[in-house]
Amino acid sequence: MKVRTAPFEQLMVMRLRWFSTLSVLLAWTLTSIPAFAHSEKGEAIDFLGGFTHPIFGLDHVVAMVAVGLWGAFLGAPAIWLLPVVFPLVMAVAGALGVLGVPLSGVETGIAISAIALGAMVALAARPPLWIAAVLVGAFAVFHGYAHGVELPVGADAIAFSMGFVVATGMLHLSGIAFGALSQWPAGRIAVQAAGGIIALIGVAFLTGVI
Amino acid sequence: MNRQLAILCTVGILATATPASAHSPIMGIGGVFGGILHALLIPEHGMSVLALGLVLGQQPWIQRRIGLLIFITAMTCGLVASAFALGETLAADVLLVATGVLGLLIAAAWAPPPLGWTLAALAGLAAALDSRPEVASNEEAFRMLIGSGLGAAAAVAAVSALSFRLRGKAQLIVSRVLGSWIAAIAILVLSLRIVTQMTVG
Repeated sequence: MKVRTAPFEQLMVMRLRWFSTLSVLLAWTLTSIPAFAHSEKGEAIDFLGGFTHPIFGLDHVVAMVAVGLWGAFLGAPAIWLLPVVFPLVMAVAGALGVLGVPLSGVETGIAISAIALGAMVALAARPPLWIAAVLVGAFAVFHGYAHGVELPVGADAIAFSMGFVVATGMLHLSGIAFGALSQWPAGRIAVQAAGGIIALIGVAFLTGVI
Repeated sequence: MNRQLAILCTVGILATATPASAHSPIMGIGGVFGGILHALLIPEHGMSVLALGLVLGQQPWIQRRIGLLIFITAMTCGLVASAFALGETLAADVLLVATGVLGLLIAAAWAPPPLGWTLAALAGLAAALDSRPEVASNEEAFRMLIGSGLGAAAAVAAVSALSFRLRGKAQLIVSRVLGSWIAAIAILVLSLRIVTQMTVG
């Protein structure tokens, strides 16, 4: 038997729940501790430092969002396969960068990745899944290597790496979330337009405009 | 809403977890409870527990139980060795390697039982050998080691049981993505540690 709740009581319960949520968030904010380990570049070597590392590079951000957009555009299984392939290849390439293994044309590769992935979305390209995975994996090499070279060698490697990988995943997720709009006609145009913008940003990086 | 709050709390606690300074997850908390927290809140250990639980959760009921038993046995052996402080080991690095391989298996959604059992033994032994607390008295160290064993075993059992129950399509995707993240983190941390060791000497 269902128990009916009066509107006033419902309102009060909702307010109490919101209040408890806000209290928890406020408590976290107040109890957060400052970063105490920094790299030579002044970057914090902790979870937050790792989390912000991929977010502060527009070339990386647009390419990773494009991976999510393209995955959402292609649908299952690409929607999860591409975001699984990217961090794995990126980590291996990042390890090569950390270890100092030489790789040339990294910045060019990153710019081309934005152009290619953006163009795939803009043109609504639907290649076979393995081609999409290989393409994304190949571009992940450049992004991972570039991050690896910049990674600060310091104390709290695991917290930094966790933040770094989670941020990359979140960028993919934001691309997937926006790409999910493609199931509607207007949304499809918006997603393709976003792909076009990403490709243009890639061109700007390649030509040195940005 | 309560469920959302619980998820929010969990994510928040995990995100704001601070690094281990004296191998004690929370300053001032020792004993068995401190050991349990150690097994869950030290990032390397928590990640290995999660990875092993997800891999065992992909296996049928009997194989899952065997895997859990192997993990507990290996962990017990490691804890006994750790209690008698049997030398400095490469336990932390071995634990990361095992966690990385477990992450790859989760991402591939491919976990043959013999491989899962081998990794369970490796992870259990390495986690236990890496659990020796830096405390003054042996009694306190023993209590914390017992807590570490109990915490790790309970967490692996809980994650594997949950993973076994939630075997829908969406859960499998979440699991694969988590696996790729775990493997990626392990690879990056290992490379950073190698370079740090090479630099520091």
